[in-house]
Amino acid sequence: MADKYLELVNSGFTKKLAKSLGAPRPAILRRYAPGAPLLPGPLLLLGNSSAAQDLADTLLGWGLDVRRHASGESQLGGIILLLDELADPAELSEPMLAAGAALRRLAPGGRVVSFSRPALDTDAPAVAAVRQGIDGTMRSLGREMRGGATANGIVLAEGISVTAPSALAALHFLLSGRSAYVDGQFIAVDSVDGTLPESFDKPLAGKVAVVTGAARGIGAAIAQTLHRDGATVVVVDVPAAGDALARVANRVSGTALQLDVTRADAGEKIIEHARSRHGALDIVIHNAGITRDKLLANMDAVRWDSVIAVNISSQLAMNEAFLAAKLPGLRIVSLASTSGIAGNRGQTNYAASKGGVIGMVRASAAAFAANGGGINAVAPGFIETDMTAKIPLATRAVARMLMPSLMQGGLPLDVAEAIGFLASDAAAGINGRTLRVCGQSLVGA
Amino acid sequence: MSDQTQAIRPAVIIGGNRIPFARSNGAYSKASNQDMLTAALDGLIARFGLQGQRLGAVSAGAVLKHSKDFNLVRESVLGTSLSARTPAYDVQMACATGMEAIGSLANKIKLGQIDSGIGGGVDTTSDAPIAVSEGLRAVLMDLSRARTTGAKLKAVSRFRPRDLAPNAPGTGEPRTGLSMGDHQAITTKAWNISRTAQDELALASHKNLAAAYERNFFDDLITPFAGVSKDTNMRADSSLEKLATLKPAFGKNLGAEATMTAGNSTPLTDGASVVLLGSEDYAREHDLPMLANFVDFEAAAVDFVHGAEGLLMAPTYAVARILERNNLSLQDFDFYEIHEAFAGTVLATLAAWEDAEFCKNKLGLDAPLGAIDRSRLNVNGSSLAAGHPFAATGGRIVASLAKMLHEKGSGRGLISVCAAGGQGVVAILEAR
Amino acid sequence: MSARERVVLDAAPSLGALYAKAAGSRLRALLPGGQAAGGTLPEIEHRLEALVADPARLVDYQRLMGDTVRDTLPSVFVHGMVFPVAMSVMVREDFPLPLLGMVHLSNRVNHLRPIPASATLSATAWAANLREHRAGTQLDLVVEVSEGGEPVWRGVSTYLARGIWPGSRPGAPSEARAPFTIPARTASWKLAADTGRTYAAVLGDYNPIHLSAASAKALGMKRAIAHGMYLAGRALAGAAPQDAGYDWEIEFATPVFLPSTVDVGYEDRGDHMVFSGWGARSGKPHFSGSITTHPDGPASRA
Repeated sequence: MADKYLELVNSGFTKKLAKSLGAPRPAILRRYAPGAPLLPGPLLLLGNSSAAQDLADTLLGWGLDVRRHASGESQLGGIILLLDELADPAELSEPMLAAGAALRRLAPGGRVVSFSRPALDTDAPAVAAVRQGIDGTMRSLGREMRGGATANGIVLAEGISVTAPSALAALHFLLSGRSAYVDGQFIAVDSVDGTLPESFDKPLAGKVAVVTGAARGIGAAIAQTLHRDGATVVVVDVPAAGDALARVANRVSGTALQLDVTRADAGEKIIEHARSRHGALDIVIHNAGITRDKLLANMDAVRWDSVIAVNISSQLAMNEAFLAAKLPGLRIVSLASTSGIAGNRGQTNYAASKGGVIGMVRASAAAFAANGGGINAVAPGFIETDMTAKIPLATRAVARMLMPSLMQGGLPLDVAEAIGFLASDAAAGINGRTLRVCGQSLVGA
Repeated sequence: MSDQTQAIRPAVIIGGNRIPFARSNGAYSKASNQDMLTAALDGLIARFGLQGQRLGAVSAGAVLKHSKDFNLVRESVLGTSLSARTPAYDVQMACATGMEAIGSLANKIKLGQIDSGIGGGVDTTSDAPIAVSEGLRAVLMDLSRARTTGAKLKAVSRFRPRDLAPNAPGTGEPRTGLSMGDHQAITTKAWNISRTAQDELALASHKNLAAAYERNFFDDLITPFAGVSKDTNMRADSSLEKLATLKPAFGKNLGAEATMTAGNSTPLTDGASVVLLGSEDYAREHDLPMLANFVDFEAAAVDFVHGAEGLLMAPTYAVARILERNNLSLQDFDFYEIHEAFAGTVLATLAAWEDAEFCKNKLGLDAPLGAIDRSRLNVNGSSLAAGHPFAATGGRIVASLAKMLHEKGSGRGLISVCAAGGQGVVAILEAR
Repeated sequence: MSARERVVLDAAPSLGALYAKAAGSRLRALLPGGQAAGGTLPEIEHRLEALVADPARLVDYQRLMGDTVRDTLPSVFVHGMVFPVAMSVMVREDFPLPLLGMVHLSNRVNHLRPIPASATLSATAWAANLREHRAGTQLDLVVEVSEGGEPVWRGVSTYLARGIWPGSRPGAPSEARAPFTIPARTASWKLAADTGRTYAAVLGDYNPIHLSAASAKALGMKRAIAHGMYLAGRALAGAAPQDAGYDWEIEFATPVFLPSTVDVGYEDRGDHMVFSGWGARSGKPHFSGSITTHPDGPASRA
């Protein structure tokens, strides 16, 4: 999506002008392109975790130029902070200050990724302190980043190694351009499940994926991204959106299924279509959603009920059908929203449904894991879609820049990349979680 | 080829797609035949994942065509994501265009000449070709042939201001000057079809179509187009009382005896429909559904010019012949799809099959074909409600009937489509 | 017949000149004491040799009638080719009735076999059967057409001179017409105001009563009327056999005023086809007729 403002403040004379006027200058984000290098420069690996050497070997295998010392003046593509074995807040000093010294050398679109452990109630107080401290410091680091660089973390459950498949997959995702609009977030890895793909350019090869609400916007971008990553895609939307849906299906060489997901038999219809036409159902993306915004004081039953029906009840019903069909290894990614986390004026109904999604995936994780699968959610922040494009330019520019660290709205593609990652087999160690794709907006945690 | 009889394999209907039909000069007034046919193909390709495939053939047509659309179907195919190596050709048989296109494709599949194909049709009366007058055309032709300035001046001098009046195509029969409705009015009267019976049939069509939408029957048969997702002619709230208030539109020369109104006649409509057919092997290899077999089809024509038979009665003859060839009786069907050009057409057709004299003298049968179970007739609505974009009607019916048969899981369906020029095409489908 | 004196014409007379001449005799007839109601027809026949159809006109005619362009001559086109010969008989000084204003009552034609478009024809025309009609005097104009001496076409046109009687005016009409009941309609012709002019442009019959409302009014008609032979041509187009001889006839009841819509009914009666035309609005009969294919010819339609 071309954005005039972004172009203007990042090139030539207008760039200088914007700089001298102190106008916000959101960076052009580094996004994924098949075949592009994983990072825009060498990787600095900081911290003395016992898995450091294994990780370094893996990173070398990914074609990265790995440095263990912060010396030199050359540009860096990324920094990894191995903080998983810290036991006291005092131990944070060395790696954090080393990272700080290297930050000036971080290339535009660079990445900082930390590895840490969750702070648990059963931890020793000092251990819990440093672990929770990492959460705070990384989020703050995210706010400091410039030039489209981001800072995120991977939180490994006790006993899970830095080189566990899903830990590596999360790292690869966070280092790559696929995570362009993910900033100030933590990805929790809870098990050693998961298989790394033969090719990180085709992580979904051989998979059959269903995307609901795929006729336009984020859904269409998801379909396209899953197709790019190797999946056979079934696109689903209401019959009334069938023409746009057909265009998406034809663009991704998939099949279109005109279906209202609120129908009682929607889950069965999806299973039947995927199985009979493509032989399997491996991935479902619950993307279909509607907004019917109104202040609660003025809310009517039609607005409230339709939002709940489409955005959460339909997903609950379809999930039951999917569980009943015992689809092996089925991975589900559901669309939540930062509105469901932080709230949004006029969206009491929408936030109820999206908060509901977050609760649903947490509570459904075990059931899907029983068949070797999993369920997660992605919570987009301000995403530039056909809908937001209708907001006047100035309002839009302010709205998107006031909030997130990245000083811009995300693209549907950014949401789709996160979904593609969570839908992949490599992410099997991640379950019941919600990943925010919000450019680190101010709202929420 | 050797003198051995070549094995005939089944031609299978895999599925269909159409855009909603829209009343003329309404929602699709800016859409061309190519736009609509391409949209219908796009929806079919999306439904069955045909992107990049080289199909055996795409066969379709339009009744009203611009001269620039001489290669309408091929041009449409080139605008889709089908392989550009898919051959395509235009067919034209008036309102039976779609049936003929689909039937001949089925034959090619049966003979093993092709493994897959798309048949269908499209029509618009909103974007109809307007031609220059005969006078202006003659001047222009002579002008283009003229070599010398003198000859050119001579050609131009023959131009008259009245030649500027354009020629719009009509739905009148060229040889009789009568509109199709006025022709049907003759037949309707000859068979004593009452106004009430016609209005009841029209009402049933609207109710049946609305009910089919209600139970999502069309979810995998229709793809929206230009902001329209349901047939715009459908009047779910119609009633016999409302229909009874309409004034006669055809056969007005009959005075008080005129029975045909805008309510029990199809309106001019724009739309497109396509059907995917294949061999069993093709369907299996591509994991595609097999809804029904396209068993057989038959065309007939009558001499309406000299009053020997009603313009739209040809299907009565075709049905007699196809039943005999397939060793079936008229009662051996679970569904009857009789195209509702006019309510009177359907009712006269049914009456003729029940009429001993007609069946004996005209169809050469020992006994009348008999009555059908009316509850099996046009059960999901037909042209009176959906509308009738001439060449697109065949595809609409074939796809819907194939789905109905597949849902039922057994049985046969009979299709009857009348056409301008005193023609008709009928077909038999069998559930799978 | 052999008693008739034969006048061989050098060339086809111009219909325009014939009408001008006829207008003069019409004028004479209108003058007091100028009533031309001679009791006898001239014992004379006019003959024209070496008549060949103009291919361009033939195409124009076939297009005008909505018929297929073929290389055989339609029966009414033959009539048009030889009409000047018949006219030349009727404008003779010794012809007892005024041509202009004369009403065309009927035609009977024996189209003996298909006639090639390239045929060289000769036509012989004479008047016969001067007789009384309830509305005036009627007579037949007979034209025989042959190719290389073989008769190929024979037509009898019956005309009525209204209000002129050979003797004294008869009393009551001899017989009442059967009331007209509208047959089943199988066609409808929308005849434009310029139908007469268009037909005249193709076959050269510029009779003023067909050309415009004004010219028709000058001759006592309320509006222009369609050529009888235009109606016959339309009736035959698509109904007459192409590959066999046939007989046809047409009888005119009331004139077709232009513009108007004529409803038409055809009925196949097995060995012959009947047709009739009536006013779509008025329901009044305009014409009726029949076509009978010669039995030795191939069946033209099932």
